[in-house]
Amino acid sequence: MFGKFQRLWAKPPLKKSYDAVIIGGGLHGLATAFFLARNYGMTNVAVIEKRYIGFGGAGRNTAIVRANQRTQENLPLYKEGLDLWPILTKALDFNLMFYNCGNLNLAHSEAALKALRLQVTSAQIHGISSQLVDPKECKALIPALDISDRPTYPIFGGMYHPPGGIVRHDAVVWGLAKGAAKLGVHIHQQTEVTGIEVENQKIVSVDTSNGKISTPRVLNAAGGYSAAISYHMLGIRLPISVLTIQAMVTQPLKPLINHVVSSGAYHVYANQTLKGEIATGSHMDPWPNYTTQTSAYYIKHQAEALTKLMPCLKGVKFMRSWAGLADMTPDMAPIMDGNEPIEGYYMDCGWGYFGFKSSAVTGKYMAQFMSTGECPDILKPFTLRRFEQHRFMGETPAVVEYSPNN
Amino acid sequence: MSLTITCPICGKRNAYEFRYGGEDKGKRPEEVKLIPRAWCNFVHMNKSVAAIQKEWWCHQDGCSAWFAIYRDTTRNLEVSDPNEDESKVKA
Repeated sequence: MFGKFQRLWAKPPLKKSYDAVIIGGGLHGLATAFFLARNYGMTNVAVIEKRYIGFGGAGRNTAIVRANQRTQENLPLYKEGLDLWPILTKALDFNLMFYNCGNLNLAHSEAALKALRLQVTSAQIHGISSQLVDPKECKALIPALDISDRPTYPIFGGMYHPPGGIVRHDAVVWGLAKGAAKLGVHIHQQTEVTGIEVENQKIVSVDTSNGKISTPRVLNAAGGYSAAISYHMLGIRLPISVLTIQAMVTQPLKPLINHVVSSGAYHVYANQTLKGEIATGSHMDPWPNYTTQTSAYYIKHQAEALTKLMPCLKGVKFMRSWAGLADMTPDMAPIMDGNEPIEGYYMDCGWGYFGFKSSAVTGKYMAQFMSTGECPDILKPFTLRRFEQHRFMGETPAVVEYSPNN
Repeated sequence: MSLTITCPICGKRNAYEFRYGGEDKGKRPEEVKLIPRAWCNFVHMNKSVAAIQKEWWCHQDGCSAWFAIYRDTTRNLEVSDPNEDESKVKA
């Protein structure tokens, strides 16, 4: 029944030089490495990971994927990202367990419904399936919902986005690592980047705990740690606040929630995993830190929110909780930039809690950026310079009442 | 998560009573001849250090006072001013 155990990726020694060094063995780093090797033939690439691949946000998110963001810059990127999951499953020959059950966002006020109307229209203009639904239709989608006027914030309607769903995040990590390694990419775990050397405004080398690597290109894809790396190693400040975001799962239940359900007013999103557990996350802890501590405060908050929305969940127990780091920008859109102010230095950070759903597609375009040195049109709006140019993306109100400060 | 903050008026309280007010970035830049990049640097750019940082807090659910503290972001603990002379602390 079981075949011979085989490693999914090799463990080669650290070379003295690489064509590109990627800091961070998370999904963005691994995806970029994979596409660099596959699409652009750049196989002399190292992914440097301080702990183990998928340690950070890649393995801590709630695995939700969707493409119903708000702004015209973000929508095409997320749409392509969503379309990529089945393609990637085949390309990697690895089951990513993409389950497109659809997402239902609930609105609890007229204002929230108006915001969703704008979001639905924006999605439809970009050819993304998304529609407004009334409370009865919400109930038809998820029978466990309480659509009466009993809850503090009754359900006014919702936004239903059928192509979204969930993807098994660990499988994406392993699949991409396997795919990249097969093409010749070196994945170095337990290797810490300790410094980045710059000469004449050009990247020359990267210092690691296992030796120096000379390279003309470095990608900062360290997720929650990217802002600290940027400041500590290069002195570049970024408009990022690193906040902890907590998530938890309940005990396994029979099939109950057959769509991803979320509510801005209750600050909750939930989906039932294929194992039957209800995985749920909430808002971020509102002060920056680099711990991944959890707290009773949020367990209580989640329990209250979930049982208000779905009263039948009363008495169901949480099994475990965990936390991850979210690198939040003021407009809740990422920073993808390169060769400015240092030639050969690329950044792919500030993803906040959108890093998972965008990982594959971002890897594809960052690979194009790094191999050609020219920023692809689709990534141009995400430049770091937009903040001083007062060109904020306006993703902040994408989910009503969500911002880094509330 | 567990964090206590010492309000200069109310004393040590649960951090969920407070609102984080950002890293201490020094004096607000002069508005005369202020260029967008300098303003952006002051308003948006953060060091996000994995170390001790000076930061602002407001006791939102208490006395509403604004004050600065030092906190270790890697341990999520309020600490004393690292620049302060040790002899002064003892005295």
